[in-house]
Amino acid sequence: MRKTRELMSLFLLAFSTSAMAEEMSAFSKMINGISESVDGFFNDYTGWFVGLIFKSVPVGEASFPIIVGWLLLAAIIFTVYFGFIQFKRAGMAINIIKGKYTDPNSKEEGEVSHFQALTTALSGTVGLGNIAGVGAALAIGGPGATFWMIVCGLLGMASKFCECTLGVKYRTVLPSGAISGGPMYYLSQGLSEKGFAGLGKALAIGFALMCILGSLGGGNMFQANQAHAMLTYAFDVPSEYGIITGIVMACLVFSVIVGGMPSIASVTERVVPWMAALYIGMAVIVIGANIGQVIPAFASIIDGAFTGAGVAGGIVGALIQGLKRATFSNEAGVGSAAIAHSAVKTKEPITEGLVSLLEPFIDTVVICTMTALVITIAGLNVAPFDGSGLTGVTLTAASFTATAGIFKYLLALAVVLFAFSTMISWSYYGLKAWTYLFGEGKKVELVFKLIFCVFVVVGATIQFGAVIDFSDAAIFAMSIFNIIGLYFLMPIVKKELQSFIARIDSGEIKTYDTKSK
Amino acid sequence: MDNTERFTIDLNRPLLKDGPNFLSHTVVIKRHIAYLRPTITSMLFCMVYIVVGSFLMALAAHLIMEAHKYDLIIFVGAFGVAITTFGVLLIRPFLQRASFNKKSGVFDNKKDRDVKLHHIDSLQINNKIIQRKNALSYQCFELNMLTQHGRRINILNHNNQQQLMLDALLLSTFLKVEIQDYRREIIL
Repeated sequence: MRKTRELMSLFLLAFSTSAMAEEMSAFSKMINGISESVDGFFNDYTGWFVGLIFKSVPVGEASFPIIVGWLLLAAIIFTVYFGFIQFKRAGMAINIIKGKYTDPNSKEEGEVSHFQALTTALSGTVGLGNIAGVGAALAIGGPGATFWMIVCGLLGMASKFCECTLGVKYRTVLPSGAISGGPMYYLSQGLSEKGFAGLGKALAIGFALMCILGSLGGGNMFQANQAHAMLTYAFDVPSEYGIITGIVMACLVFSVIVGGMPSIASVTERVVPWMAALYIGMAVIVIGANIGQVIPAFASIIDGAFTGAGVAGGIVGALIQGLKRATFSNEAGVGSAAIAHSAVKTKEPITEGLVSLLEPFIDTVVICTMTALVITIAGLNVAPFDGSGLTGVTLTAASFTATAGIFKYLLALAVVLFAFSTMISWSYYGLKAWTYLFGEGKKVELVFKLIFCVFVVVGATIQFGAVIDFSDAAIFAMSIFNIIGLYFLMPIVKKELQSFIARIDSGEIKTYDTKSK
Repeated sequence: MDNTERFTIDLNRPLLKDGPNFLSHTVVIKRHIAYLRPTITSMLFCMVYIVVGSFLMALAAHLIMEAHKYDLIIFVGAFGVAITTFGVLLIRPFLQRASFNKKSGVFDNKKDRDVKLHHIDSLQINNKIIQRKNALSYQCFELNMLTQHGRRINILNHNNQQQLMLDALLLSTFLKVEIQDYRREIIL
């Protein structure tokens, strides 16, 4: 009887498989073939780069990537050097946002307030790092990875403070009238002032090269890849149809970055903050609906962080995943934020540094923790945490959907728009690095923009493994050059900070009543 | 008692906040009419949205017949409609030709109230810097006109300075009015 049942199920399986095979059109097979070959090509040609960036040393049972230690050590050094600025001066940062040090009558036309600058920056920070990144961290690092993400977020605040201050201090006005800033400029100019012109130039070039790769990896392919993964999860779109998602997104990205159409950029700028609010709202609903499970969820996060149960490599494994994904999300120490912040209108570079230090806190400590709570509460991420089950954006989406089915559609909408806006942001970072290396010029810029659009299609087409490895490696590689420069330039930031505080204390910088506003 | 109020018109200030990073229109003069012709490039950039949106709508229609996945159909279809609508809204101003007609004696830009040509006082060129959070900032130029009643109306708004100067010259000769250059150094 049992044998007959087994034969029957085998027959049904064979029938359904053959029926499915018949349905699979020649088009679908062709796309699958292209996807596989692109994936294979990518694996073969970027594998060496990924291996080099993530060179590991054995720590207990796990292999600890040197680059993760590099970022962690830098964040600790900056935290200590600036006297735990993220804790001591958080109040001052909030006061800057509230306008305590800004004359309410001196606002120039078109000038944005620090609060507006922060909300704009935050809406750009909340993205797939908070959604897919946390999903990936917990799938491989278990709930304990959350704890290390929080630690990394807190320490990263000091790194971001340092790089964003320098970004504004060393920005330059190009002949076209455009303001250009970021690590390329503070590395070359700042180190030149210190008598290390050669080293500064080398670091700037190295950073620019890695920034171009990072913009094509984490800022482009990862976004396109995860947007399609979300569509696959929410609507059952076959994964081989990624090429269609990629082409559609590439066309829209093309129209913005090549065309310079003002309207689409404005639409994106307006929609993204609402998407961020929608995402946070959904997370609050899930947490609120399962309020009784919040304490046990935190308990498993703490427990996982110090036992590493079910994680390959134990505690170290959880720590690596937490640190990797937190860096990917808040970009502290990477140098990309310094490019974005350098365009702000301010006479005091330190104020921009202080405002920017709040970003890793809100991004990682608050929003990533919310995502992690949603995932932990849903209970879909179970040991062993080897990434073989649900991972990345699909794990996050499934966890949200466990509370309300409609969330997967809202999340799909948010993910696609986040991916699009992040691609636009990173195309800008990449272009800045590209023009730093090859000079300004319409033809030179067009070459980069076209390459960028091609990579959107590639990212949506190839499989998760190859994309995420390359994306990570490229983003982390930026930090190698950036942090070396930050070590040399951190005394300048300290001097700026001391001068700012002294001028506040002496009354040279006036304070204004923020309550009356 | 003097009931007339005095207003100051600042001709240094650009009229529009935004502007495209490409040449959007050129001035064409044909006998008694001078009109603004959209460039092929600008039309192509608008067409991208219409093509992509239409493709998504066609895909949604295909899915209705083939897959019966209604959630996917709604998602793809809604995105298609949104992108196509956006493209149509974008292309519409390009298709409405603003013209200066000497025969009828009016300027019509299909947007503002018509202006009698003999009421046009002068043309002005303004420059501005368009700053975006996530894009390179760029210079943009405006060709505006001032009427005898103090109205300022934008004629051209794009980033090709050379073409704008040429077009301004063409229009000033056509309208027999002077051009005032209000370009200034912008310190950010």
